[in-house]
Amino acid sequence: MAQTTAPPPPPSPTQAPATRLTYDFVTRAIAQTLGHPGKGYFALLGSAVTLLAIGIICLLFLLRYGLGLAGYSHPVYWAVYITCFVFWVGIAHSGTLISAILFLFRSGWRTAIYRTAEAMTVFAVMTAALFPLIHIGRQWYFYWTLPYPNERGLWPNFKSPLIWDEFAIGTYFTVSTVFLIMGLIPDIAAVRDVVTGWRRRLYSLTALGWRGTNEQWRHYTRGYLYLAALATPLVLSVHSVVSWDFAMAIVPGWHATLFAPYFVAGAIYSGVAMVITLLVPIRKLFHLEDIITVHHFENLAKLCLLTGMIVSYSYVTENFVAWFSGNPHERAAFWYRAFGPFWWASWTMNICNGILPWLLWVKRVRTNIVALFVISIFVNIGMWFERFVIIAVSLAGEPFERWSNAGYNPTWADWGIMAGSFGWFFMWFLLFAKNFPAVSISEVKEVLAPPRRGRGRGGAA
Amino acid sequence: MSHGMNRRRFLKVLSVTGGGAAVLSGCGIGPEPTEKLIPYLIAPEDQIPGTPTWYSTTCRECAAGCGLHAKVREGRVIKLEGNPDSPINHGRLCARGQAGLQGLYNPDRIAGPLVRKAPGRLEETTWDSGVALLAQKVAEAKRKGIVFVTGHETGAFGELVDDWLKAVGGRHVTYEPFAFEALREGNRLAFGTSAVPFYDFASARYILSFGADFMETWLSPVGFQNGFSRAHGFEAGRDAAMAKFVSVAPRMSLTGMSADEWIAVAPGTEGVLALAMAHVIVSGRLARVPGEMGLAARLANNLAAYAPENVARTTGVGAHVVERLAREFAASGAGLAVAGGMATHYPNGAEIVAAVNVLNFVAGAVGKTVKFGPDLAVDAGSFRDAAALQADLAAGTVALLLVHGANPVYSLGGFAQALGKVAFTVSFSSYLDETASAADLVLPDLHPLEQWNDARPRTGVYALQQPVMQPVFPNTMHTGDVLLRASGKPGTFRDYLQGKWRVLHQRHGRGKSFEQWWMEAVQHGGIYDEVPTRTVRLSPSAIPPGLAATRRGDDRYPLTVFPHPALHDGRGANKPWLQELPDPVSKISWHGWVEVNPETAGKWQVASGDIVLLTSPYGAMRAPVWITPSVMPGVLAVPTGQGHTAYGRYARDRSFNAFQLLGDSPAAYGGREFLVSVTVAKTGDHRRLATAEGNAREQGEGIIEALPLAKARQLRAGQHPFEEKQIPDYAEAAREGWAEAQHEKASLGNYAGAHPRWAMAIDLAKCTGCSACVTACYAENNLATVGEELITRHREMSWMRIERYFTGGERGVPVGAVVTPMLCQQCGNAPCEPVCPVYAAYHTPDGLNGQVYNRCIGTRYCSNNCPYKVRYFNWFNYAEPGGEWESWPEPLQLLLNPDVTVREKGVMEKCTFCVQRIRAAQNQARLEDRAVHDGDIVPACAQSCPSEAIVFGDLNDPRSRVHALAEDPRGYHVLAGLNTKPGITYLAKVTAGPGAEA
Repeated sequence: MAQTTAPPPPPSPTQAPATRLTYDFVTRAIAQTLGHPGKGYFALLGSAVTLLAIGIICLLFLLRYGLGLAGYSHPVYWAVYITCFVFWVGIAHSGTLISAILFLFRSGWRTAIYRTAEAMTVFAVMTAALFPLIHIGRQWYFYWTLPYPNERGLWPNFKSPLIWDEFAIGTYFTVSTVFLIMGLIPDIAAVRDVVTGWRRRLYSLTALGWRGTNEQWRHYTRGYLYLAALATPLVLSVHSVVSWDFAMAIVPGWHATLFAPYFVAGAIYSGVAMVITLLVPIRKLFHLEDIITVHHFENLAKLCLLTGMIVSYSYVTENFVAWFSGNPHERAAFWYRAFGPFWWASWTMNICNGILPWLLWVKRVRTNIVALFVISIFVNIGMWFERFVIIAVSLAGEPFERWSNAGYNPTWADWGIMAGSFGWFFMWFLLFAKNFPAVSISEVKEVLAPPRRGRGRGGAA
Repeated sequence: MSHGMNRRRFLKVLSVTGGGAAVLSGCGIGPEPTEKLIPYLIAPEDQIPGTPTWYSTTCRECAAGCGLHAKVREGRVIKLEGNPDSPINHGRLCARGQAGLQGLYNPDRIAGPLVRKAPGRLEETTWDSGVALLAQKVAEAKRKGIVFVTGHETGAFGELVDDWLKAVGGRHVTYEPFAFEALREGNRLAFGTSAVPFYDFASARYILSFGADFMETWLSPVGFQNGFSRAHGFEAGRDAAMAKFVSVAPRMSLTGMSADEWIAVAPGTEGVLALAMAHVIVSGRLARVPGEMGLAARLANNLAAYAPENVARTTGVGAHVVERLAREFAASGAGLAVAGGMATHYPNGAEIVAAVNVLNFVAGAVGKTVKFGPDLAVDAGSFRDAAALQADLAAGTVALLLVHGANPVYSLGGFAQALGKVAFTVSFSSYLDETASAADLVLPDLHPLEQWNDARPRTGVYALQQPVMQPVFPNTMHTGDVLLRASGKPGTFRDYLQGKWRVLHQRHGRGKSFEQWWMEAVQHGGIYDEVPTRTVRLSPSAIPPGLAATRRGDDRYPLTVFPHPALHDGRGANKPWLQELPDPVSKISWHGWVEVNPETAGKWQVASGDIVLLTSPYGAMRAPVWITPSVMPGVLAVPTGQGHTAYGRYARDRSFNAFQLLGDSPAAYGGREFLVSVTVAKTGDHRRLATAEGNAREQGEGIIEALPLAKARQLRAGQHPFEEKQIPDYAEAAREGWAEAQHEKASLGNYAGAHPRWAMAIDLAKCTGCSACVTACYAENNLATVGEELITRHREMSWMRIERYFTGGERGVPVGAVVTPMLCQQCGNAPCEPVCPVYAAYHTPDGLNGQVYNRCIGTRYCSNNCPYKVRYFNWFNYAEPGGEWESWPEPLQLLLNPDVTVREKGVMEKCTFCVQRIRAAQNQARLEDRAVHDGDIVPACAQSCPSEAIVFGDLNDPRSRVHALAEDPRGYHVLAGLNTKPGITYLAKVTAGPGAEA
């Protein structure tokens, strides 16, 4: 099997990180994450695959017997699946934000975390994109929404926000995948040079002939810049388009001009929270404490705080406008949210997203990894519930046609496929983290002090 | 990977992918497999494929005897509609009548004769041995007691049974659980005749119902409702205003929901109230009392005890209310008071009827709206006979019991046990109901739609019943034929029937040959004669010296058992359309409930769905509570119809059998008491009520608009009180521009030129909420019935639903109910259309919101964006043979309308305005080279509506009825503020409640 470099020297408390962080140390520290997987890794991967298997079994039942196995009722025609769709699309947002926007702003601290965020983005989009396919009634005809020449002479309906969605998600997936792969190239080449066996063959292929020449670096950095510029508008556009799935409809609780910025902020908020949720264990498991430092977490927490405040503000605005508009349907919808049978979902959302982030104003919290981890998980839960409240609860309230007020109870088919989506996401993520550098080798080096004479390449003092 | 793709490799790949697809579709994943249509090898001469044939016949689902038109396609009846020639139902048909189809194609019908060889098991046998066994048993039982129990028979079959019994020496017992004994006895007490008159609702100007559920199960509900809506409907410019309707009952029934005023009266005191009103009329000389000299004075004397202030405490109705009602009733000039339903099921039921007769008489209604002469044939036996029979059975004095069209084991508590003492029981039932399951020999009858018979539901009406198709189960036999064969007589029942009609021919033949006259009668569904009204005299002794109120203990609650509007006495329970049809008041389907007033429920600390144990002196049962303002505090009400232990898959083991709470001994007038006092105990169990009701209150959303009568009268053409400003002024220009752009786009391609705009008008002043339209829609459009579990999960498929909202009940406003049919509004500016990614929802050039099932991929976005929530999703494959959610098990699928697609799982469906009927009428007009006339197209809902509340037509045709109604001042659009431009105009309900005149 793969032979990797020797494990790094155990960190000694007397050594300040700055002195230990040399080019060589970085290469070795990161490359060791690709080392022989331990039991813990397999346990995690096994759980992810098990969850995925549960999801697949549920999906097969769903395909065979119909969507009725899920908890839908009249008029709650969108529920957990679309909630998961928006949730995962939202998760996908921080990746591009961190890799593209922060890149353009030359925020150095992004280098340690952007690879994780980017990988998360790609896998989250891959997860999200499954849900529109799963949730439709005749899944085998999903391709009818694609604009392709056909004997029926029919194009999809470009007025439908679902079609916009398809393009937005498709574009986002393409760009973020290209972005991820491109960023990986120098790192793959670096790893290629230190591994043996089948991995060497794999990395030789995927490094696309990278040799690290000046010429190549010049092209690479230019290309990366343009790609970042291209990706930046996507951060704003994708979730805006997703939000229009709702804002374009006339359902009270959906039909609001606020939705695009509200959703984008929420997406980044949940995405950053998910990055924290993922980075904490990765850092621990792969011993990357020196590379991913508390400083990085604090910056992420600040980002979280900013977007969290925007989200909280949106909540207030949403409710205020519902009242201020004088529209009885709007008012009824928001009253139902807060005090109807789904009050618990609404208040979970309000507390997790609207109140918890205020803790991040405190520096002690921002620099406490455990606290951040816990908060990030609550934010993830809160953001899931936000989508659930917007989607399912708005429909259940049905303020137009009071007769059609209905309850809604998710079933095993809802939870099973949702669990499967987590399995699917983590499976890809775990496979990625073990096979590709989860932290960018080349970019971390960019922000290090360059090696100076008197200090050997070996990094020893 | 050597040389790319060669032929062998190509085929390999092809077979593997094809095989994969085959495996998937074999598992039921993916598109439905293609099936082939096979044409007739030799086409039958009398059928044109695709063209329906219509046959006239008579409905036998209840005793009313409505005329039917049966629509037959390719030899199978697929829809039942009312026969417009019939004076009973005027071309209209209720839900129960339409569901007769599901009795015909019922998957639990008995396919052939059965005999009990070993105890506990019925085995198949042949007709020869079955009939021989019957003849043998009859011979054995002669002079040892033969009893033939039938349901209510008004025609030739009943006469044949009598003839046959005369020959073999036996007794004929007619058993109907709801048999109007009190009505007949009350008429005898008051008028000296036990005939039941024809109640002319259409000519009434003031209608007062004492418990009579005349729109549901009472006598002739379709005809009565039709008449009622003529009287009670509002027509601008009509000189006499709409008739006010007051309902006096402890419970609001479907009929009571239409009331302008509901007088909640203590159960059993309805008669006292009627007499108090009569007292006011007589003592105040508000009307000229007909009849001989001195009658008025004698009446006044007898009525003295019933002064309103004396009865206020007993009835719980204030003296001023009684006074007012009496004055209004007398002043109307043509009042009609009817007593029935609950009011006739009390121990003093007959006295209540007599009291109401007195009221009718003193107000001059008899002869005007209460017409003796064209009497209704309701001589449906007496409960006293049934109780006596049960006693005889138990005493062992009956050797042979024959049962046809009745199910006494279900509705009579001790019957099953008594049956054990009978040597031999023969059932002629088509279904294995409780009685047939206990029989020794089952000789299944043909369904009424497969057989000859006749009915005389009303004096002068001779309704013919003819087979409209070959028997679904060829090994079943007409019971008339069985009797004729068993007694060794030649000929068939048809000959017997014709023999009877030959006698009629002599009187009504009008010089035609019998053959010609018979053929015409068969075509028209019978012969209909006008019968003159005869006069009756009131006997003043009909007024009892004092009416006792129903006794009431401390911990006991009066509980009234009422007939379920759809399931009736339980016979409807094996028909999924009726099971799934929400009860018009409670909106609960598939199970029973006990109605509890919120006040009472608060005292008990129970919630809707909590299961309580009801114990009467005769039995006990567990029932889920439904908390409702539609029943008065302290009174409980439960419907009959459920709780079968047999009777097929749809009926068996569903909640409780309310008959178990009732006693077996008849009341003084011979009927059964349906009021018992019960104790109530909480069980701690709970169930989700199977209801599609979301919010029982409209919450001021303007879904249903109502006008007081005085305001409605003042409306003039061109006024539009409900037209509200839809968008603010500053947005008007933008909307205009947008509308202009839409207009331009709408003139391209197929949309160019003049098109009709199909539209509907629904008059809420006429709609009663009876739900006949709902079942009509199920029948016409192949709607799936989804069953109890899916209803609790709000998965109903009813394209047309009746929303029932309660009003008032707070701050002194009396409790009332308003209803509206809700179906696709066919918006001109539909929110569902632009959001569909694949154009499955699209706008047709003639203004319909089309839904292309084959194109739909099931994103359900259209439904989310529909403010009326009238789109329904196929969560499962309801047509999968043998599937868990199968809606049409063999042979029920034969009733599917071949003109309408059966939808597969995963697609959205909705009301299409019966587009198949629109296209059929257009095609017909084209064949005849003419334009489509107004009225050519009648959607199924409009066709069935007993109130004639629904009008359909082309809005772009200025001469169409719907165009005129759309301009009616009462017209409004539901949720008009959303700018959806609906194609349905609702005409506001008009209420003549207290204060409406002011």
